[in-house]
Amino acid sequence: MSQNAAARKVAIVTGTASGIGAAAAAELESRGWTVAGFDLRPSPQCSFDACVDMADPEEVRAAVARVEQELGPVKAAVSAAGYYEMLPVSEITLDHWRRMLSVHVGGFVNLSRAVMPGMTTAGGGSIVAITSELAIGGGSQDAHYAAAKGALLGLVRSLAAESAPSGIRVNAVAPGPTDTPLLAADSPWRAPEYLATLPLGRLTSPEEVAICIAFLLDEGTFCVGETLNPNAGAVI
Amino acid sequence: MPENTGHPYPDLEGKVVLVTGAAQGMGAEHARRLAASGATVAVNDREASAELSALAAELSGLAVPGDVSDPDQVRALVQRVELEVGPVDVLVANHAFMTMGPFLEADPADWWKVIDTNLGGTFHLVQAVLPGMRRRGAGRIVVISSEWGVTGWPGATAYSASKAGLISLVKTLGRELAPEGIIVNAVAPGVTDTPQLEVDARSAGISLDEMRAVYAAGIPLGRIGTSPEIAAAVALLCDFRLSAIIGQVVQVNGGSTRGRA
Repeated sequence: MSQNAAARKVAIVTGTASGIGAAAAAELESRGWTVAGFDLRPSPQCSFDACVDMADPEEVRAAVARVEQELGPVKAAVSAAGYYEMLPVSEITLDHWRRMLSVHVGGFVNLSRAVMPGMTTAGGGSIVAITSELAIGGGSQDAHYAAAKGALLGLVRSLAAESAPSGIRVNAVAPGPTDTPLLAADSPWRAPEYLATLPLGRLTSPEEVAICIAFLLDEGTFCVGETLNPNAGAVI
Repeated sequence: MPENTGHPYPDLEGKVVLVTGAAQGMGAEHARRLAASGATVAVNDREASAELSALAAELSGLAVPGDVSDPDQVRALVQRVELEVGPVDVLVANHAFMTMGPFLEADPADWWKVIDTNLGGTFHLVQAVLPGMRRRGAGRIVVISSEWGVTGWPGATAYSASKAGLISLVKTLGRELAPEGIIVNAVAPGVTDTPQLEVDARSAGISLDEMRAVYAAGIPLGRIGTSPEIAAAVALLCDFRLSAIIGQVVQVNGGSTRGRA
């Protein structure tokens, strides 16, 4: 590792193969962070990347251990891995429900449990969960997605209160519909009639979400249990 | 400022910023932070003072004293900024007036002065800067609310009402002005280390350090905030690359509220 690389702080970002995770990784690298990207698919643009199923605690623990060994102590973790799925509540099977919760809530829990011991030893760190505007306002056919993202909000606030005394800050970003591959081309969130209802008149961009994430890690040193809402005015 | 990159954040080169309540404390810090980002900064406070002039000189900006509760003075001071350095691209409404006491004992004139300054002053300022922002087709308005505007506080009815009113004003203006590229948001600081703390300590009859410790005990992070930490949130909301945060309240309080405002 070069001297320059050694001076850079290490952040783990999940969901870095595309969308918000990829934009967050790029923004953080541009601000001097070394980013380890976790995703089901490769994230070749990151300094370090690992194919990890965030719903599997063992895989996550092993990947975090590798990052700590190869890059050094982890100062920050951003849980952006996730997926979107709309279903009427009567069509949400137990499998749909469990998968939604295990990826969004489980993924955040697995990441936090794996990085917090190292952060505690180092005297501090910062964790950001990506939740959703739908966690606040809900939406038709969003029952399991909103339940998972809403659970994240409560989790973030509790974990924030619990870990702030050890110098670990936990916060969230709740984007509105964002222009990523997660939104299908025929998604109702891309319909001109929906966009016309937004004060901003357009989708949120992944780069805007990334700016919020970077703020919470770099400069939000008195933000604890807070949620930033880049949502184009969808929920005010 | 993000470490390692060496670039001030955000990029406000060529932009004109007006910060009210800037003679000391948080307002002065916002002015310094945004000047360091390349902006030309006009600093306002209720009266002309050595502090205000010194800050303007330090930042190569201009001092525009005036009472923001008076719409005529607000129009005049915004006009001065426009004539001397150009239309205001960014308004940081940081001014505040405060008195405390039991609700039924409040002097009505004093009670209304809090509302007229904190809430009314921001109304006058937004009306005054809006034509310039419209001419430029973009703008950023950052209103400093308060944790007490979210939670309320005994003995601070006027102050809390004014700060909660600012939150609703910001939500409404956020909706109303975003289609024109004018983005309006609020920052709600928790307890912050400013000269106001000395006033609190004196009235509680304890030392400044004891006062800091009393407040810190109620904050999960175990300490009170600093002005640069509040200024950092203001800087985020002045980033012209970020338009998707609209009508929101960014709470910077060490974890004391942990709720949606």
